[in-house]
Amino acid sequence: MERNAQHAFDAEEVMAYLDGELEARRAAALASHLVSCSECQEMAQGFRALSERMLSFEVEHPSAGVNETVLAALDSAKSPNAAGTDRAQNQRGWNWRQVFGRRRNWAVACAVAVVAILAITIPNLRRLATVPLNGRNFTEVMKLERRENATSSGYKKWLSDDAVPVHSEGQIPANASARGEGWDASAPAPPAAGQLHAPETVGPMIVQTASLNILATNYDEASAAIEKLAATHGGYVEKLDGKAQTGNARELSASLRIPTKQLDGFLADVRKLGHVEEETRSNEEVSDQYVDLQARLKSARATEQRLIELLGTRTGKLQDVLEAERELARIRAEIESMQGQSAILIHRVNYATVQVDLNEEYRQVLGSGPISTGTKIRNAAVEGFSNVEEGAVALVVFLFAVGPSLLFWLAILLVPGWFIWKRFRVRARS
Amino acid sequence: MRQYLMNSDDQLILEFRQGSREAFVELFERYREPIYGFFRRRLDYPARAEELAQECFLALLQNVQRYEPRASFRSYLYGIAIHLVAAERRKAGREVVENEKLDSRALEGNAAENNDAGIWVRSALGHLEQSEREILMLREYEQLSYGEIASVLRMPVNTVRSRLFRARSALKNQLLPVKD
Repeated sequence: MERNAQHAFDAEEVMAYLDGELEARRAAALASHLVSCSECQEMAQGFRALSERMLSFEVEHPSAGVNETVLAALDSAKSPNAAGTDRAQNQRGWNWRQVFGRRRNWAVACAVAVVAILAITIPNLRRLATVPLNGRNFTEVMKLERRENATSSGYKKWLSDDAVPVHSEGQIPANASARGEGWDASAPAPPAAGQLHAPETVGPMIVQTASLNILATNYDEASAAIEKLAATHGGYVEKLDGKAQTGNARELSASLRIPTKQLDGFLADVRKLGHVEEETRSNEEVSDQYVDLQARLKSARATEQRLIELLGTRTGKLQDVLEAERELARIRAEIESMQGQSAILIHRVNYATVQVDLNEEYRQVLGSGPISTGTKIRNAAVEGFSNVEEGAVALVVFLFAVGPSLLFWLAILLVPGWFIWKRFRVRARS
Repeated sequence: MRQYLMNSDDQLILEFRQGSREAFVELFERYREPIYGFFRRRLDYPARAEELAQECFLALLQNVQRYEPRASFRSYLYGIAIHLVAAERRKAGREVVENEKLDSRALEGNAAENNDAGIWVRSALGHLEQSEREILMLREYEQLSYGEIASVLRMPVNTVRSRLFRARSALKNQLLPVKD
């Protein structure tokens, strides 16, 4: 198809003319040229012959299956767009580009997420904000009340050293009755500083203990009443331990100190709280201990006095003086210790120990498991939410950890990768 | 359906976008055979060609809301078809129309291809350079204008013209008797 260099039209233009793709003025010129130029006519004939020849590459008609499938897809869809969407979903599951490509869908998803987060967090915040005690368990509340009780009643104060009374040696409380009830117990207990009265007359000193196991029908009332009763009878709560395990009966274990004189009245009141399952009472005679203690105290004081006199004369050697002073110090420590023991002993006699174990008469509720379904769902939601939070944090941490090196390698690989992709696309398209 | 006969493809697709079922049926009738022929000439198996023709129309259904009349409807439709063929070739990992692959199985059940001329043409096409062959086929079989081919293959019109000329010259040398 080499063309004469002087020819007005080249072969490509002849082809374009035959295809109807030549610009109008040029086409008109070529049309008139064709009439006279046999070479161009021949070339045009060649192109026409080629087109005709190519048409011999025929294909059969499509089967009716194409018709049916396409028209069925068209009819099954409510709208043209929905038809495509359904088809896409059938082929590849969700068409994510359509789902995420729409602002409305994003807005709905964000709104749902915000509502879910609020639904989970607001109840928690409200619970924390409204009733502080609600967050604590039963035992904690009980301990708190006990502390308040002890502080307000001067219990701690009594335990301080200043409150330990010093009484005359060798004397048993004068007003103690045969059972020890005659001692001064009329003052509101627990005794504050200076209120602990030393026995003055000789008589038996008895430490009383009582233990009660009560099954309470109305547990709440009973548990509250125990402390009140103790206070009413001039006693105080030494230890209070409550257990309220889910799905089990509640238990309250109270260790109380009640003035010996009031013990019978107190026990009678406590018995009214419920059914007494077990009651024990014991008395321990401590007169011997007390007398012995007082005797040793008296002896120690005498020794102390002699040592003081000895040191006052100072006739011995320096070593002897030092020895005497050491001995004096030891004796004084002993005296203080015995005074303390004496005070504790008197207190034990004056205040009986009462152990009350209160058990709830628990009725198992049918169908109520340890945790309710609502709580389970809520817990699962909270767990799910925190999982999402942890996952998001982990992703951010991962991105920060890996991101820089990823960007670095991307930057390095981008250029060759782009060229490979371009070649691939060109090949694929053609 | 008759009322649509005088409408252009571009009008029909816009009407279909607004929900006219008949418009689509008319378009489908117009392009059912050409689109099947497009795939059939480029693929070995008639059944696969039918499947892809079907997919092509389903893709049209699916994406009609996003159709914008920037180029002609034919460019748009054959653009989808080109894309599907490219995907098919990628999947198969081979060049379907290449002459080396033109074996007897491609001719099974194809009565029209049993004529010698058709086989020669197909064989000769297989010897062309890929992009030139595609341009020539789009021009001769799909009857696309230079501008439409340029739009489908995303290349300048002048490139289309020069490559088409090269393709025709090469094919002519193979198929037509050379004059002394």
